[in-house]
Amino acid sequence: MENRPSIQIGSAVASPNETRDALNAGYAEKVSIRDVCFYYGQSIALKNISLPLYEKQTTAFIGPSGCGKSTLLRILNRMYDLYPGQRATGEVLLDGENILSPTIDLNLLRYRIGMVFQKPTPFPMSIYDNIAFGIRLYEKVPKSEMDGRVEDALKRTALWDEVKNKINSSGLGLSGGQQQRLCIARTIAVRPKVILLDEPTSALDPISTAKIEELIYQLKADYSIAIVTHNMQQAARVADFTAFMYLGELIEFGATDMLFTKPKQTKTEEYITGRFG
Amino acid sequence: MELAAQSGTVAPSVLRKNSLIDSLMHGLTRSAALLVLLLLGGVIGVLIHGSIPAFEKFGFGFFTTEKWNPVTEIFGAAAPIYGTIVTSVIAMFIGVPISIGIAIFMTELCPRSLKRTLGTGIELLAGIPSIIYGLWGLFVLAPLLQQYVQPALISAAEGIPWLESLFTGPPYGIGVLTAALILSIMVLPYITSVTRDVFETVPPMLKESAYGLGATTWEVVWKVVIPYTRTGIVGGVMLGLGRALGETMAVTFVIGNAHRIATSLIAPGTTISATIANEFTEADGEMYTSALISLGLILFMITFIVLAAARLMLLRLQMKENR
Repeated sequence: MENRPSIQIGSAVASPNETRDALNAGYAEKVSIRDVCFYYGQSIALKNISLPLYEKQTTAFIGPSGCGKSTLLRILNRMYDLYPGQRATGEVLLDGENILSPTIDLNLLRYRIGMVFQKPTPFPMSIYDNIAFGIRLYEKVPKSEMDGRVEDALKRTALWDEVKNKINSSGLGLSGGQQQRLCIARTIAVRPKVILLDEPTSALDPISTAKIEELIYQLKADYSIAIVTHNMQQAARVADFTAFMYLGELIEFGATDMLFTKPKQTKTEEYITGRFG
Repeated sequence: MELAAQSGTVAPSVLRKNSLIDSLMHGLTRSAALLVLLLLGGVIGVLIHGSIPAFEKFGFGFFTTEKWNPVTEIFGAAAPIYGTIVTSVIAMFIGVPISIGIAIFMTELCPRSLKRTLGTGIELLAGIPSIIYGLWGLFVLAPLLQQYVQPALISAAEGIPWLESLFTGPPYGIGVLTAALILSIMVLPYITSVTRDVFETVPPMLKESAYGLGATTWEVVWKVVIPYTRTGIVGGVMLGLGRALGETMAVTFVIGNAHRIATSLIAPGTTISATIANEFTEADGEMYTSALISLGLILFMITFIVLAAARLMLLRLQMKENR
């Protein structure tokens, strides 16, 4: 935690040198966002965003409502493609491959980049099938192995003990916090490379929130995680790196402890000390 | 002092007025609700009363007798019951997949500009009076079927053991299949608009979650959207089925009105409502009238059974879910 570099992006555009510095410091770039702009129809929502997501690190996106943090997340798995009139420019490299390229297979991309949403979204099927759903989409897995993977995913989200006796009943019957952990289990069951969390605890009570945060911390060992949160304390608790966004621009990106203790931009300081937002 | 006095005198009258309006509204809405039950009870009562002579004479045999002879006054409901159920079931087999297909296209795939046009088109289809469907069926659809479709069906089914009996006999153009086709077109807008509306109630986030796992549009629709909206879809299908069972005019035009049960789908047949519409003016004897009223009662029962079965099915699905 001590030697983590803080990358300051004054103009909101990272120079290649800065990202290379980070690489040298021992962090591999899993995802590189380069000069990305995003448009809802004619209006611009993101302006020249550049930053890396490091491998097996958690990156938090904070900022006031409407700053574009969720939009940025939705670029990373091209979710915006479902809606006409939304488009992104620039480059997003996942392991060196530009995922904004029109030739990329969207379904495969989304299979590799998992996403968890603001509200729990269990599918209208059993708990078991909720998790098997994603695996079945792309893999032919024998029943015994499937059982193992479902159990593994549920154990990793600490849900196994709570649901093992009702694994064939509907996922809709779980509590909100359990449903959200089920959604996370479903996401990790397909073994994605990156996990995107869009305010995953905003609809949950404090105890469920704590469980999810604990989970995020454990998942970091295997996955690169991006989390959008409106809760700065949460960002401070779970993230290694934090990006502060404001009005569609990236104001500052750096190691979480640096950003929260010694922000380089006055805007960041004003936000984290609660002067606006 | 004055104010206090005023509020002391005004308030009770205001309160009285309010409670009067309240109880008036209560009574009005309750009597409106009761009226429905009264009407329903009245209709059932009249149907039962009117059908007593026929049931006294024919007993349970009324349901199983195919014969319908006004001259000798021997009546049996088997042919119209058969025709009603077969035309409606075939109409559902054709209409439901197409309706759900349209609804899926409209909610998941359709560009916005086309969505409007399609929606209006569907609504207009629902607005066409059934007599127009009947005319169109008789003068346009039936000749087309007679000339091209039925001969092709007959020759295609020839030699195939089970299918052969379904498509056999001379191609009249009119018949059970034609009626079923017309019905499938008529129920289309109802099922489509209900399923479209329930598809639109699926939270975008739920669909995005499925897309987020790498599901294709087909997988999202089949495994998430349809299971999520199951209750609503069943409701839409039942609405369509209810309409198909009771549809009178269009069916009367194209079914052929023959009181017999033929295994062939292209043979003429009849339905309950078509029989009633065709023969009520000619029903001179008491028994004839009573037989027709009994048919009405049977149609009522069929509709009731269908609705009850749908409810039961939904209930069982729900129980299974909360197991």
